[in-house]
Amino acid sequence: MMNSDFLERIAYCVEYGKVSLQSPYPPDMKGQDGADEITRKALDEGTAPGLILSEGLVKGMERIGVKFRAKQVFVPHVLMSAKAMNTAMEHLKPYFLSGAVQRKGTVLIGTVAGDLHDIGKNIVAMMIEGGGWEVINLGVDVKDEELIEEINKHPGCIVALSALLTTTMVNMENTVRKIKINNPNTRIMIGGAPVTREFCDEIGADFYSPDPQGVVEYLKTII
Amino acid sequence: MNSKERLKATLAHQQGSRIVIDFGSAPVTGIHVLMLEKLRDYYGLEKRPVKVTEPYQMLGEVDEELRELLCVDVIGLLSRTTIFGFENKNWKEFRTFWGQEVLVPGDFMTTLDERGDLLIYPEGDPSVSPSAKMPASGFFFDAIIRQDPFNEENPSIEDNLEEFKPVTDKDLSYWAEQIRVHGSTGKGLVANFGGTALGDIALVPATFLKHPKGIRDIQEWYMSSLTRPDFLKEIFDRQSDVAVENLKKLYAVVGDAIDVVYMCGNDFGTQQSTFCDPDTFREIYLPYYRKMNDWIHSHTTWKTFKHSCGAVETLISSFIDAGFDILNPVQINATGMDPEYLKRKYGDQLVFWGGGVDTQKVLAFGTPGEVSDQVRRMCGIFSKNGGFVFNTVHNIQANVPVENVVAMIDTLKKINGEA
Ligand code: B12
Repeated sequence: MMNSDFLERIAYCVEYGKVSLQSPYPPDMKGQDGADEITRKALDEGTAPGLILSEGLVKGMERIGVKFRAKQVFVPHVLMSAKAMNTAMEHLKPYFLSGAVQRKGTVLIGTVAGDLHDIGKNIVAMMIEGGGWEVINLGVDVKDEELIEEINKHPGCIVALSALLTTTMVNMENTVRKIKINNPNTRIMIGGAPVTREFCDEIGADFYSPDPQGVVEYLKTII
Repeated sequence: MNSKERLKATLAHQQGSRIVIDFGSAPVTGIHVLMLEKLRDYYGLEKRPVKVTEPYQMLGEVDEELRELLCVDVIGLLSRTTIFGFENKNWKEFRTFWGQEVLVPGDFMTTLDERGDLLIYPEGDPSVSPSAKMPASGFFFDAIIRQDPFNEENPSIEDNLEEFKPVTDKDLSYWAEQIRVHGSTGKGLVANFGGTALGDIALVPATFLKHPKGIRDIQEWYMSSLTRPDFLKEIFDRQSDVAVENLKKLYAVVGDAIDVVYMCGNDFGTQQSTFCDPDTFREIYLPYYRKMNDWIHSHTTWKTFKHSCGAVETLISSFIDAGFDILNPVQINATGMDPEYLKRKYGDQLVFWGGGVDTQKVLAFGTPGEVSDQVRRMCGIFSKNGGFVFNTVHNIQANVPVENVVAMIDTLKKINGEA
């Protein structure tokens, strides 16, 4: 099989959330190899891991991201795509560790202090990872000290913060202020249901998007 | 007309002379304990700790005194046990992270974890692992996901049915007592029986169970709608069978004394979209909602209440087909949720219970004048030909300026000719 066939099949599995041979979803791909098997085969037959990332996984995630933004698919579909991507990523891990494959950079993501909504934040994390970035997901209710410690551990990283509640938008504001004092060059992206572009400007964050695809596109412009 | 008659009229889509008002009848139309304290202070009521009646979201009791001040027309009858599986009794004092003295049920058993966050235990049993956590900087709890490994290819239906049991004699006598106490208040009554919510994402983690089994992880649950739709349908089918049997027994006890049943709080909407398309809703959920709603409509005078946050306009006709009479919280600032459009398109078939003022911008960050303007505008739109109960979009949160809440109430009083 040609490299390009492998890559397109991987992208297709990610787009449609086909995880592995056993997975029953999507029903019309029952009994076929999934992202898991095809990635393994592609590597075994010599496809460059970097290409698998950029032409397989990133492509697939981009396609689902565009459909999600257009409301053609919904949260469960994106979660399935991410699951397929993660299974493929497992095969790429050794290459990330050895440095054979480089990602575009590191993004730290978390939901701000006091807030425990994480579905949207996780979807953004998956899409950023699917954009070819290393993502460190700090979870929910992330305290400022933890975040700043992580920023110091990952020089040059970008921070993504999510808030879903009006009661936690003030925590987002405080966190952004603290980061800008301690690490003035760190870029901060923010989002979540009540967050707006004006709020982003007001609190001095660098970027806002109502959807994850916007984040992926923004990240493309900064490398 | 008294409150109950006014409620009945608006539910029957008859124009009334006054707007029917709800604060606190359901776990999605309530007021946070901190806000209740601020309101009590504002109105100069006796200083005493507020009761936390819904501990998960830290919603407090809107008692008789406040009901009169806020002109509330409905009373919510809580289920016998809270979302943490214990009863609301043996009240004790508790000091919150934000320094408020409140009253909590005796079984509200908590510990602090190493981060200083508050952990709470199902049925007040600290010997099992905690089922929810309140961050030190938060105002409410959130479920701790306790997901044990499960058979992915063939998950057990029974495991996810553990919480749907026949009502007990204890439950039935509780409900009889509720009616005895509240039945002749002249207020509308909303019953929170429990057991009728299908796949409610707040209930899937089962914060009330000591050892939840089955699928309890939120993301896995969402994915199940794609990977194992038949599994979900089977759960909903069996759960709704149990629910109908329970409704029969409950009806025998409460009869037509109650006006509304709070059926389901599962959120189908996000800020801009939905969690599934209408076809999926009609396939996985509709038949089982329908089964419960049909039983209610053919045997009782109750109206059924569906809560779903977010941008659900594309699902509303399916909610109607599923037999729901009432939609809440009518998130008017979410995509596609234009009040005039909603009222025009669905107003004859659906009662809007909520949508009175937006809580993401106006109530939380606006001026009292802006609040008042929006309340007037929304009441104007939604109350035409009845079919409207005033409530904010979801619970009133802790940090809302009290002047804004007062502006909302004063405006309502003016509209109702009471000021
Ligand atoms: C699901 C949900 C829950 C679940 C959360 C489960 C979980 N683990 O996350 C449950 C049921 C537990 C819950 C609980 C509560 N919730 Co809630 N919840 C929602 C709901 C319905 C959907 C949120 C969601 O998951 N959307 C799906 C995802 C994919 O979308 P998203 O989160 O918006 O994220 C997208 C974008 O915003 C963006 N994005 C998100 N983060 C980031 C970050 C960056 C950097 C960028 C660029 C973009 C970005 O991309 C994402 C993907 O598209 C919203 C309704 C709404 N209108 O949003 C209410 C909502 C957010 N909840 C609300 C409330 C009030 C609560 C509670 C406080 C309950 C209460 N009534 O008192 C509790 C408290 C929870 C807590 N302790 O923090 C209110 C908030 C109102 C306000 N004043 O702010 C809302 C708006 C409902 C409403 N109608 O009022 N909730």
